[in-house]
Amino acid sequence: MEMRSGDEAAFRQVYEQVFPVVMRVAFHVTYNMDVSEDICQDAFIRFFDKNMVFQTMDDAKFWLIRVTKNLAINHVKRKAREAASMEKLKQVTPTSSYKDGASELLFQETTENVRKAVSQLSEKYKTVIVLKEYAGLDYQQIGKVLNISESNVKVRVHRARKELEALLGMEN
Amino acid sequence: MCLDDQILNTYLDNELAEPWKSQVEEHLSYCSACKERFEQLKALKQTLQSAALTDEEIAPRQENVLRMISNTRFNTKRASFLRRQFKISIPAFATIAAAFVFVFVGAILHINNGSGNDFIPAAMDSAVDETNVSLVSDAGPAKTIYEYSPSLEEVLDYLDSLGYTVSVTKKGVEPFTFD
Ligand SMILES: [Zn+2]
Repeated sequence: MEMRSGDEAAFRQVYEQVFPVVMRVAFHVTYNMDVSEDICQDAFIRFFDKNMVFQTMDDAKFWLIRVTKNLAINHVKRKAREAASMEKLKQVTPTSSYKDGASELLFQETTENVRKAVSQLSEKYKTVIVLKEYAGLDYQQIGKVLNISESNVKVRVHRARKELEALLGMEN
Repeated sequence: MCLDDQILNTYLDNELAEPWKSQVEEHLSYCSACKERFEQLKALKQTLQSAALTDEEIAPRQENVLRMISNTRFNTKRASFLRRQFKISIPAFATIAAAFVFVFVGAILHINNGSGNDFIPAAMDSAVDETNVSLVSDAGPAKTIYEYSPSLEEVLDYLDSLGYTVSVTKKGVEPFTFD
């Protein structure tokens, strides 16, 4: 099913299916709802304005996930740089940036702990784990979005889980 | 030989191909140590997924963004209408305005005086004709306005729908306000 991203009907169809996925990607990278909404809006506007041709719904979805992921990662990096340059914090702890973004939400203890742990992962591991657990992509799809090999994805998923297990105190 | 975490994680993600998948399943059926480790990894995955942003949290954001995009990207009818307006050359537009004044001012005078057509300003046939009313188009030579016209009513309805108050004045006549 070939489609044009600037066609209103096709756009609406993609939007309906893909928005929740990209919103989860943006959120679990930034842990800030308003920032995530802005990022998704930015991604979908680019998607519409570029009026690109996609062969399948999945191709459109992967394009949107890639753009959203990049915008979200850039936001996190910029925030970290700003915090560092302002020197308001002696150390840029992921905990502080996490709390900043999560202020509007009330979490259960476990949810908060999990989100805090994910926010503490390095970019490399955070990205694969977010795409795996929150965007529901398989290894091959993650490889496509990140432009890395499937076996590389497999290794990163494994190492990310190992780190998360330690961060959450779930290791034995 | 027992199974390492990476194999177990791959199996957990349902990404392990045959014949390894069957071998892992067989091993897990009798090795309690590996079975226990597998359950731990499964619990970790479930814990991670339990912290996912919910559909309820997403829904209002999804509506916000769609509303914004609809407003700025989907109103193509209005946009093309506007674009058409900008292509009308200035003399032509001035003529349209003049015609409008004649028509509407004439109507008011007629109602107020109830005395026939005496006060209707001079005929507009000399002001509006196909030689001085034309559209500037990017598709070849200029066309006359009559070939595709937003009518005066359309122009005014459109401006009205945007919330504009349109006011035109003619010398010696009370200002007429369209709002
Ligand atoms: Zn074993």
